[in-house]
Amino acid sequence: MSEPVIELQGLQHRYDTDLVLRDVDLSIGEGEIFGFLGHNGAGKTTAMNILTTLLEPTGGTATICGYDVVTDRREVTRLIGYLPADVRMYGHMSAAENLEFLAKLSGVPDARAAARETLEYLGCADLAKRRVGTFSTGMRQRIGIAQAIVHRPHVLFLDEPTSGLDPMGVRQLRETVLQLNRDLGMTVFMNTHQLNEVSKVCTTIGVLNHGELIYNDSIEATMRRFPDEASLEDIYVRVGDLAS
Amino acid sequence: MIGTIASQQSLLLRRQHVALVGLITMLAVTAIAGVLGWSSHHTIVRVFDQAVRLQAAAGQPAPPNPFLLKPNLSLLSNMVVYIPLIGALLALVVGHLSMVDDQSKGMGRLLFTRQVTRTQYALGKVLAATRFLALTLVGCGVVSIVALLAVNRTLGSSDLGRLTGFYVLSWAYLAVFVLVGILTALLTRRRSLALLSAIGVWLVITFVVPQFTSGLRPTQSLNPLTEPAGTSQAFFRVTQHAQPLSIVEQYKTAAGNILGTSPTSPTTETVLTIVPTLIAGFGLLVLVLWRIQRHDYARSASDE
Repeated sequence: MSEPVIELQGLQHRYDTDLVLRDVDLSIGEGEIFGFLGHNGAGKTTAMNILTTLLEPTGGTATICGYDVVTDRREVTRLIGYLPADVRMYGHMSAAENLEFLAKLSGVPDARAAARETLEYLGCADLAKRRVGTFSTGMRQRIGIAQAIVHRPHVLFLDEPTSGLDPMGVRQLRETVLQLNRDLGMTVFMNTHQLNEVSKVCTTIGVLNHGELIYNDSIEATMRRFPDEASLEDIYVRVGDLAS
Repeated sequence: MIGTIASQQSLLLRRQHVALVGLITMLAVTAIAGVLGWSSHHTIVRVFDQAVRLQAAAGQPAPPNPFLLKPNLSLLSNMVVYIPLIGALLALVVGHLSMVDDQSKGMGRLLFTRQVTRTQYALGKVLAATRFLALTLVGCGVVSIVALLAVNRTLGSSDLGRLTGFYVLSWAYLAVFVLVGILTALLTRRRSLALLSAIGVWLVITFVVPQFTSGLRPTQSLNPLTEPAGTSQAFFRVTQHAQPLSIVEQYKTAAGNILGTSPTSPTTETVLTIVPTLIAGFGLLVLVLWRIQRHDYARSASDE
């Protein structure tokens, strides 16, 4: 495997008495598109919150490009871009104004130019002057991706990126993720339930079950390991059965 | 980063028309204070002129014009009431909106995965809200000057200095309520509860605390005995020394001294009455900075 960009060692998180992440060890290499799978409440979003510096783990360590997410927060936030689930931005401001503001907070020197270039790169320059409050879910998601990459991060975190999108929106998002990985060399960490998308986009997968990482391998190796299963959905169910 | 957050918040206040509504409200109450002052001045002067004519007809000396005995800025004495009532409510709403909009949209997830720190974010929000109040009070100051010139014809440098002092004091007082609006938004999960809590704090500061710190004995207004028999006076003995805790009363005293509408107090006493407001503001700022470090910004957008 290539040089690890994301590394979790014995990662734990506890909400009061509830242990939602249990000693998760995971390593994701440069340029990979990682699909993080698991049932609702498995701990995927908690793990992403820790990796994006929003939450401090109660045990273990997590690093991005060798920087600790707790002690080296400034370096980590320079390296990451994040698209949360159900992204909302300032509805009274245009897409370009939202992006410019967020680019400034990421320390981009010419934030206005970065906002314009990002919108052009994603093919949504036509949305630049429109107020975000008037956007459809699909448009919001495209602007959400734009804000996540406006500062050209090294690692992109996407939390349920296809949720609420129509089939065309899902296809567009898939192509955008592949484009970002191919053109800009971004490593992508994606929380999702859409197994169909995972099989089309991801290079490696991890399966989280009640806070425990029960499976982690490349898509190719996974398909080889379960030759009798017809789809990734069948494999996912099988992995869950084996774990329990 | 603080400047970026502050500029962004100022833009939002303008776009949401909060700034416009607040500015119009405050300018309107200042104009009302001016009109009321002018109206009473006009009425009293007319009565005085008539009395002078009658006295002259009777061959008696005329009494001095009562307005010559009053300070020029007494025209604005109603502002001392409007600022703690209307201005403080406006400041609460501005502080409240600064925080809850971001919280209800789940914006913290976009902001705090960037270079900005929580301290910079909070200071930026406070800066934007207090800057907005400063601009509003500058507008009120201009309206006040127009009203004073309309009535008094002249405005000396001393009056201008006192007027500036009054609005600076008012700004410091209103900043306390901006911080109350921000802090209640950080302490509560629902935006409606946050606003209700902030209004509750305003009610307590404005109406409840002055009752407890006035040292007034309610029974004495019914029965003028110095020491009503069988009643403990310990409570009143303690609370009559607690007046510095009532920042609204301290504000009114200081504002009255600056405008010259209350019996003149030495400058040092006026300065001392400002100290509790400054302490309250500083304490609230520390609480805001402490609380924001613990606030859960990993939560997603709420639909409330």
